[in-house]
Amino acid sequence: MHYIKNLRQYGIFIVFSIICLIISFISPQFLTVSNWTIIITQVSINALLAFGVTFVIITGGIDLSLGSIVAVAGVSAAMLAHPDSYPVLVPVFAGLLAGLLIGAFNGFIITKSKIAPFIVTLGTMTIGRGLALILSNGRPVSNLSEPFVFIGSGKIMNIPVLIVILVLMFILCSIILNKTILGRYIYAVGGNEQAARASGINVTQVKMAVYSISGLLAGLAGILLTSRITTGQPNAGAGFELDAIAAVVIGGTSTTGGKGTIAGTLIGVLLIGVINNSLDLLNVTSYYQQVVMGIIIIGAVVLDSLNQKSNS
Amino acid sequence: MHPADEQILKVNGLSKSFFGVKALDNIHFDLKRGEVHALMGENGAGKSTFMKILIGLLKADAGSISFNSEQIENMDVHSIMKKGISMIHQEILMVPELSVAQNIFLGREIKRAYLLDEQAINQQAENLLQSMGLNIKVQTKAKHLSIAELQLVEIAKAVSNNARVIIMDEPSSALSEKEVEILFNTIKDLKSKGVAIIYISHKMEEIFQIADRITVLRDGKFIATKPAAELDKSNLISLMVGRELEELFYANSITQPEVILKVKNLNKKGKFSDINFDVHAGEVLGIAGLMGAGRTEIAKAIYGLDSFDSGEIMLKGKKLEIRSPKEAIREGIGYVSEDRKALGFIPELSVKQNISLSSILNYSKSWFIDENKEEKASSKIAKQLNIKASGLNQKVMNLSGGNQQKVVIARVLMASPSLIILDEPTRGIDIGAKHEIYKLIRKLTESGLAVIMISSELPEILGMSNRILVLSKGKQKTILTQKEASQEKIMQYALH
Amino acid sequence: MKYTHLILIGLLLFITGCNQSESNKNNAPDKIVIGISMLSMQNEFIVNISDEMQKKAEELGAELIIVDAERSPLKQIEQVESFIAQKVDVIILNPCEYEASSPAVTKALAANIPIVNVNSATKVQPTAFVGSNDVESGRIAMKFIAEKLGSKGNIVMIQGLNGQAAQIQREQGAKEIMAEFPGLNMFAQQTAEWDRAKSMDLMQNWIQSYGTKINAVFAHNDEMGLGAVKALQDAGMKDKVIVVSIDAITDALQAVKKGDLDATVFQDARKQGAGAIETAVKIARGQKFDREVLIPFKLLVKEDVDSYLK
Repeated sequence: MHYIKNLRQYGIFIVFSIICLIISFISPQFLTVSNWTIIITQVSINALLAFGVTFVIITGGIDLSLGSIVAVAGVSAAMLAHPDSYPVLVPVFAGLLAGLLIGAFNGFIITKSKIAPFIVTLGTMTIGRGLALILSNGRPVSNLSEPFVFIGSGKIMNIPVLIVILVLMFILCSIILNKTILGRYIYAVGGNEQAARASGINVTQVKMAVYSISGLLAGLAGILLTSRITTGQPNAGAGFELDAIAAVVIGGTSTTGGKGTIAGTLIGVLLIGVINNSLDLLNVTSYYQQVVMGIIIIGAVVLDSLNQKSNS
Repeated sequence: MHPADEQILKVNGLSKSFFGVKALDNIHFDLKRGEVHALMGENGAGKSTFMKILIGLLKADAGSISFNSEQIENMDVHSIMKKGISMIHQEILMVPELSVAQNIFLGREIKRAYLLDEQAINQQAENLLQSMGLNIKVQTKAKHLSIAELQLVEIAKAVSNNARVIIMDEPSSALSEKEVEILFNTIKDLKSKGVAIIYISHKMEEIFQIADRITVLRDGKFIATKPAAELDKSNLISLMVGRELEELFYANSITQPEVILKVKNLNKKGKFSDINFDVHAGEVLGIAGLMGAGRTEIAKAIYGLDSFDSGEIMLKGKKLEIRSPKEAIREGIGYVSEDRKALGFIPELSVKQNISLSSILNYSKSWFIDENKEEKASSKIAKQLNIKASGLNQKVMNLSGGNQQKVVIARVLMASPSLIILDEPTRGIDIGAKHEIYKLIRKLTESGLAVIMISSELPEILGMSNRILVLSKGKQKTILTQKEASQEKIMQYALH
Repeated sequence: MKYTHLILIGLLLFITGCNQSESNKNNAPDKIVIGISMLSMQNEFIVNISDEMQKKAEELGAELIIVDAERSPLKQIEQVESFIAQKVDVIILNPCEYEASSPAVTKALAANIPIVNVNSATKVQPTAFVGSNDVESGRIAMKFIAEKLGSKGNIVMIQGLNGQAAQIQREQGAKEIMAEFPGLNMFAQQTAEWDRAKSMDLMQNWIQSYGTKINAVFAHNDEMGLGAVKALQDAGMKDKVIVVSIDAITDALQAVKKGDLDATVFQDARKQGAGAIETAVKIARGQKFDREVLIPFKLLVKEDVDSYLK
């Protein structure tokens, strides 16, 4: 029950439903199983990034290095994923490790130096992009093995692997935030860092954990992207962090920390995905698409905050 | 001209509900020019809701407010402030990076040809502070001021704003005796200029010293308005709580010989030096002293929140090397901070989640929280401490100050400490909750817990402590036994 | 505050001084120094041009200073200014934008340093231009589609980043051909910002909208073409839809060989790179040179690609 209570984003959920309803009237293809399969596949990569950065934002931090981590992890995985080189677990592990290491590096610098996360992750964003270019010599890494490509385009029992991974990560992240000690500590640190420390919480460890989780999920996203487009590109993922952060904010997570849910973030991710999808379905010119997207992002958040005011 | 009896503010039949619960029910109130009118009531009595409506932060459901015979109940905050009603908030709202003068003139800066006239701003601010007898440099940044100084500057700001009514919410809670004197002088000065003051405080002595009339609210209802001279402490308290309260005598007389905490030669440069004391099982050691005497600093050093330079801390005969609160808690030390908002609780978390925060490892299986266990344990202690909340899942930010404090104490106790340090445990909470906390301390000491209690309220420290350590300017002056101690003696040592 | 300004000015003077002394060294008469500002070293095609330049320079004994403008015309202008300060012999510019990069050309010409544009044009005429005409590539691709469809059918076009010269010209070329074949119908056109993943999303959404009514896809570059191929394959429609794109990057050649991509239009990075260096060296040595060297595009289908896959 308290899951639903925690859904501060009732408001955003209603907005989301209304938008879906309107689109389904205009576009008959919208409310079909096949279209929703596509929407969910398309948002899966942004969803993983957004889940990760939800942890970070709840502690009151920010992670701008996500897009670069996607590139580093993608390129590292692709380089080890050529046919007849290694079993598929090796590139997957390499990609995850790359993400984890950069995330942990973020956490380490942020907790040791007390420099604002915005600055630190801005730095790692650039470093990461450079690393991806160095690793790949500035060229896409292609020719990937069948099993590796399966991750991004295969199906398990007629469900795309991407969706399976998305659902698993959704459940996993929700459990971490709601059911574990770490999750409790994350909310505590974001709600009042000093009081959390005075209550006996090791704030440094908590922050290390959230940036590592964010990096790890971005690494996974990099693997999925690489597998989906069957090439590891050093310039992939540029700007992904902004889409992810937008989704988190739409989903009701406060950028000042202390509150937010994975379910809300998922709604935010889906909202962005639905808008992209439906504007394509309706063949709205891309110039207008960007304007519409911006309006909906702001509108959704405004509606949500109005809804909250009337609740309190 | 003597307009003292002239009515400046008149409130009629004010009501306000939140979610169908009446927070204010048909309140009547009036204020005369040049009067100090105390507003009394326990926390949750409706004082702050009433004040928020008065300054335009909330809209009333029913009733009228007239100010200088003008209806103001539908005006917004800014218009009301312009009309001449100002409030000095408990939390000081100043821009830390701006100077005192800049803060005073914030939003109505003096300009010359479109540019800021800093010189005029400084000059006028200086005149203002001088006229109030305040010795504060106007070019100091606000962040360098003490809470007391900030408060006095806030009052100065209201005065310079031509306020005709100033609302003071617990203005003395963070002030030293001397500063309270300055505050009272300022108030008297304001009175003579015809400014009316609504004074909210829990400190009885102050009320009788300063107030002309007293209005009491209880549970959102208007109880009475009476001249202060017609009331004494006990019948005021009975008006507020609706029942008589016994006097403050809670110290546990049976302390045990076992030494729980031993502090030897504790030093921190610029903060405190040569601190030596023991705390026995079942004992309350009071620590008295003026603000800045080093009381909180010693507490934080013992708890691992701050470092110290040299000295030894031993708990039950074992030498401690504590570097963080986490380690202190593990060793069995608990700390309730004087700064509840900053160091006490997590506002966005629920009552239950706050209570279990320091001891969550006891209510979990490996990485997972056992919510049943957590719920049971926290509901038990919430009942013991009589925490009033709509439920264990209510966010702590929505509780009254007294209940927030109980939540913090509950959190500390859940970690089963053998020593707790209570730093100003009753600051800013109402009389009913205060007495509950006193009783709780008594019960805890009876069960063998050692307690260090830091307090600025002398009656409290005298009534609660078995022994009293008095600090002055970072130095330990004496340790008085309960028999030896008196208000005068403590002040003598503290001012030494 | 005043002091910080002084220190800054001092630093600036010091740095310019350093540049000056460096340029003396560069000015050795025997070796030709060429300053090169490239659009973006994160783009495979551009990296190919740059690699070829280095090879050719080694062969001709020229010294290259290659810098990356990271798609910023402003940065590009600053880089050219720094080349002028270093007194290089020739500047090669791989312009970021048609208009915004023009001041770089003007400045070089004003400083009497010859400037060669490679790959794309600027509004201001440089000393020489080496590259290909992007309008032509659009024409070639669309002609192929018209042939394959028998002059009638429904086409969707996946565009590059709107407003860039390559996008505008490729669209223009395609539309020219479509005007000749009234049977060809443009169903939808949308940008995927040169990006494979975005193109894949776009194609999936179009498949939802139009389904099997789509007969052909023209993508402004190979990355997007390959994204479209992937989406069509996933929907089991690839064998019914023709996909053509431009650039002939390695991945695309592989795809053409496998029959996944129907054709790609080869833009010769090597010839562009080599041609630019050759022209630059000729200018520096005072030899005769062509003011415009146009490297032709070539349509590559399955049978052609083997010789390009090396």
